Amino acid sequence: MSETANTANTASTANEAAAEPAEVQAPGRDASGEPGSWGARLRDAAVERWRPIALAALLLAACYAPFQLVPFRVFQLTMVLVYAVALLGLNLLVGHAGQISLGHGAFFAVGAYAAALMLDRWDVPYLLTLPVAAAVAFVLGLGLGVPAVRLHGLYLALVTLSIAVFLVPLLKRFESVTGGSMGLTLTKPAPPAWTGLAEDQWLYFLALAVAVAAFLLARNLLRSRVGRALHAVRDNEAAAEVMGVRLPFYKTLAFAWSAMFAGAAGCVYTWVIGFVSPDSFPVTLSITLLAGIVVGGLGSLSGPLLGGLFVMFVPSWSQDINKAAPGVIFGLLIIAVMYVAPTGLAGLAGRAAGRIRRTLRRE
Amino acid sequence: MSTPDDDFLVVEDLHAGYGGARVLHGVSLTVGRGEVCAILGPNGAGKTTLLRALCGMVKGRGAVRLGGTGLLGRPPDAVARLGVAHVPEGRGTFLPLTVEENLRLGAFTRRDRAAVQADLERVHGYFPVLRKRLKQQAGSLSGGEQQMLALGRALMLRPRLLLLDEPSLGLAPMVTRELFGIVRSINEEERTTVVVVEQNAHLALGIARQAHVLETGRIVLSGPAERIRADEQVARSYLGYRV
Repeated sequence: MSETANTANTASTANEAAAEPAEVQAPGRDASGEPGSWGARLRDAAVERWRPIALAALLLAACYAPFQLVPFRVFQLTMVLVYAVALLGLNLLVGHAGQISLGHGAFFAVGAYAAALMLDRWDVPYLLTLPVAAAVAFVLGLGLGVPAVRLHGLYLALVTLSIAVFLVPLLKRFESVTGGSMGLTLTKPAPPAWTGLAEDQWLYFLALAVAVAAFLLARNLLRSRVGRALHAVRDNEAAAEVMGVRLPFYKTLAFAWSAMFAGAAGCVYTWVIGFVSPDSFPVTLSITLLAGIVVGGLGSLSGPLLGGLFVMFVPSWSQDINKAAPGVIFGLLIIAVMYVAPTGLAGLAGRAAGRIRRTLRRE
Repeated sequence: MSTPDDDFLVVEDLHAGYGGARVLHGVSLTVGRGEVCAILGPNGAGKTTLLRALCGMVKGRGAVRLGGTGLLGRPPDAVARLGVAHVPEGRGTFLPLTVEENLRLGAFTRRDRAAVQADLERVHGYFPVLRKRLKQQAGSLSGGEQQMLALGRALMLRPRLLLLDEPSLGLAPMVTRELFGIVRSINEEERTTVVVVEQNAHLALGIARQAHVLETGRIVLSGPAERIRADEQVARSYLGYRV
């Protein structure tokens, strides 16, 4: 009976069940009176609870980094966070709901322009531009979700791609609103005096706060009933429908959410760069984002961050390697990652972590 | 005039098909509340299409009423919310999800958390093997276990009507017998109405009260299960086995 209660309890039991053997061993080592037993026990606990520990360490490092790096590196890390937020959204749509979008960059641009217009025209306080930009992108995402309900695979890819394609000329055309090809130049948010931070550090922490909030939001969303519905739609549409999942509703919602994250990321982009123009959001941005999430790891929570790192750093590295053909290097690296790690960098990292854990436990 | 319990599920002159291909040509039958009804027939007779039309996966013409409520024209999710659970052909397992996630998806339309938890226990009671594998990916289960999962998942809806499409497909005879035993006890203990489509007529007739033989989209024979089983002529011409 007690076993029943245990197994049926909650989702967290998988880790605890795995932890049992280690916990059983630890007292045995204690009894032998070894001086290192406390250390051994601590290590075992760390091995088993590596996930929260790794997250805490990552967050600590993220808070420490801007004080140790030169402003340009801080800026690069800020952009990694911006991409990670956009990729969180794309991951919801592609990795969790099983849809495809080659137009994610368009929602990124919508968020960026929405924030820029608010800052430029109406002097809206910049923190207020974030929810508004996210909301605007959400509504447009709903709009795109409607055709998505009727389209599958390649057809859906084509429709979403067309959105990314016509965005740039559209932005150039409505010059009176968007500033045309010249774009809009804005003042970046200034750090409040009490923080004592430099501008690049302040922007970094803003992006970090948005990224952490977006990460928590996505995680909670996926752990809920809604997350289960999205997974069901991804894995077997017909069966999901028979279970009572309303396909049109959840597909549309998946597009809207993914657009919302992209819009929020675009908004932070505007804060960080202080400039938007049509050429900041070419079709290749959408394709790069899709490549980023596939390389990072579809359907995993760390995928967006790893994808963000890839999208940010690999193009500049490849430029260092060969000035003539950064695109070739970028493409080759994508192929290489997909060959070595078909489930993306997140899958690779997960396998490595599992191996380290097993090795440590065996000792 | 029959009692409402006698015609819990009423199908009247049901026509259905895919695009231009008509599969069902006017099927009529009734199933009483708490009964097991077997639909038999050779390949391509329209058995699966009949179930799909009942649950909304395929559009149909005619009438389908469950407890007086019309089902035709409703999408599958709406039919599910009316208490119809469908175990589709090929089981419809969500392979990358865990066994528990699969089971919880079965209760997707329900908001009563405590009762869902209780039903999870109930399903474990029927299928102890699932309890041991709750955190395992459903794709790693054997065919028999997956069929049990599909049946358990359907029970999580607390269905008023359970539709089973070829539960024996691809399973070892022993596993199939076990599965049918469980379907029988579910029907007896919970008074769930069951419509089961089967090629393995012998097993289906063993648990059914009424049976209908479908051929090229029409019902060619209906009657109590024992009588159909006893009719050697029927057995030879439609069911493909000798008694």
